[in-house]
Amino acid sequence: MTLSRFLTRRLFFSVPLLLGVLFFTFALVRIGGQDPVALLAGPTASAQELALVRRELGLDQSLFAQFLIYLGKVARFDLGQSWLSNKPVLSELIDRVPVTVELMFWGVLIGALIGIPVGLRAAFRADGLYDQISRFVSLLGFSIPTYWLGLMMLFVFFFLLDWAPPGMGRISLMATPPPRITGSYLVDGMLTANWVAARSAFGQLVLPVLCVAIIASAPIIKQTRAMALEVLGRDYVRLARAAGLPEREVRRIVWRNALVPVVTFIGTEITGLVGTASLIEYVFAWGGLGQYGLNAIISGDFAVVQGYVLFLALFSVVVFVIVDILTFLLEPRAAGEA
Amino acid sequence: MTAELLMNAAAARPRPSFAARVVQRLIGLSRRSPTMMIGAGIILLFALFAIFHLWLMPHDPVRAYPTEVLKPPSARFWFGTDGNGMDVFSRVIYGSLYAFGIAVPSVVIGLSLGVPLGLWTGYRGGLFDEIMMRVIDAIRVFPIIILALAIVAATGQSLVNVIFVIGLIDSPIFVRVVRAEVLALRSSNFVEAARALGNPTWRILFVHLLPNALRGAIAQTSVRAAWAVRISATLAFLGVGIQQPTPEWGAMIRQGAEFIVTGQWWVALFPGCALIVLVLGLNMFGDGAQDLLDPQRKTTR
Repeated sequence: MTLSRFLTRRLFFSVPLLLGVLFFTFALVRIGGQDPVALLAGPTASAQELALVRRELGLDQSLFAQFLIYLGKVARFDLGQSWLSNKPVLSELIDRVPVTVELMFWGVLIGALIGIPVGLRAAFRADGLYDQISRFVSLLGFSIPTYWLGLMMLFVFFFLLDWAPPGMGRISLMATPPPRITGSYLVDGMLTANWVAARSAFGQLVLPVLCVAIIASAPIIKQTRAMALEVLGRDYVRLARAAGLPEREVRRIVWRNALVPVVTFIGTEITGLVGTASLIEYVFAWGGLGQYGLNAIISGDFAVVQGYVLFLALFSVVVFVIVDILTFLLEPRAAGEA
Repeated sequence: MTAELLMNAAAARPRPSFAARVVQRLIGLSRRSPTMMIGAGIILLFALFAIFHLWLMPHDPVRAYPTEVLKPPSARFWFGTDGNGMDVFSRVIYGSLYAFGIAVPSVVIGLSLGVPLGLWTGYRGGLFDEIMMRVIDAIRVFPIIILALAIVAATGQSLVNVIFVIGLIDSPIFVRVVRAEVLALRSSNFVEAARALGNPTWRILFVHLLPNALRGAIAQTSVRAAWAVRISATLAFLGVGIQQPTPEWGAMIRQGAEFIVTGQWWVALFPGCALIVLVLGLNMFGDGAQDLLDPQRKTTR
């Protein structure tokens, strides 16, 4: 099976998922027993604006017709307006995508670079001391509240040691932000040779990225260990050992074979991590999608909440496609079966 | 003759008392899964905090001492005081009441929705089962915190809503595990026999299948409770559902967040530690319970 055919099939399967999410966002403002018009237009709306929103939603028509109207609006890239900022939701969301992607990318990358070797080592020494400790650390990682970890990091590295800047956004107030090319201050600063901005952006990145990495590594450790143990029990590993292959070679075989399910797992985990990263954005005033979405939820800006949830669903579809490509490149056979 | 002797010998040996048998069983369990026993100990400790909170709290958890605002830990205020001048130690103790008060009912709601649905979809199969599984897949890939937040915000912010939403989001997990076990049991002899005898479907589901399909769900409860404690604290941290100055851990951390960059660490540190230890205990207990109750998991370990 070729990569393109494989991808088309996968994208086709994500259509029902997206329809389901659209239904959820549609239902969200209607399940609470509150007036959807009031929720979407916000408490500051005038009678005129209320009437306008009411007509747009088609509230005098049947629920099914309302859903179709909603679908039509989404298809025309109209996600409504935020009553807090009075701007179209879609452009506000798109502006913030690279900001969140930057945080997630480094966080997950470092989390995987910690988690995979630790998990493999634990599996090779199953039930040994190293394994016991890593299992406990992983459980601890599952139990630490994300936002609390962020706060404690700020206390230790900003207040006590003064190694890190305060968690107030993505760049120091002293530095001039570089012109927008990719949306990441670090990359843009480097591209425009604005080293002051790049350094400041890097400093602001360290703590939030570390938080995401710590939270992300816990399940990666657990999963890598489980996958490696499964591979260790397979016949071909036993054969390799019986044939007298050096332990180093055996381990190479194990991690090559455990890698594919681990990559798939990290992909599914990333979508859940967006929630975690939102909290970190909130604590560090990161200003990305997550903080924007959380603030919208807290202040009841439901047009934004709808758009945000939809964006998250799109994001997971994109992540799954990337995971599929990676799986395909790592092991075409397994991808063909899936 | 020998049989008689043996019986006499058995009768002569005193039967171990109930307490002794309980202790013996506990020792056996802790050998098989030390993680689980440590977890159980932690849960018990917090349960005691919750039960005896009236005796353990040195101060009223919502009484403000206006002259003692933001005082560091001292002999009078063990964990210091918060921005309202309330005793952090007493509030942390009282917070365990909220943790259990939210976790227990929400897991019960999750079980009572998820188990019957899992029984039914697993037994019946068909289109409904298909749709259910797709819905569950969709929920699984989605950031659950956002889902919970959005629903609580849309349905009105109250403690009862928080509990219901957590239970609702939990239920698909129970559907999944129960359904998997029912699928394996569906065509076994005892179910066929029950059906052949003319038992109505509800009787087959709840009398014959339920006791056999509950293991996986029971193994999950502790982990789900851990999740409920975490998520309810997260909601409170964001100020959704539970408001200041409720002595709930997440709400306390929310207040502590204001003071962290100015160095008043005790307001956020202690409720966070309590939260971590309880969640860790529940996770450890759940991890051990899954190993004991779920033979499949054991082989993959």
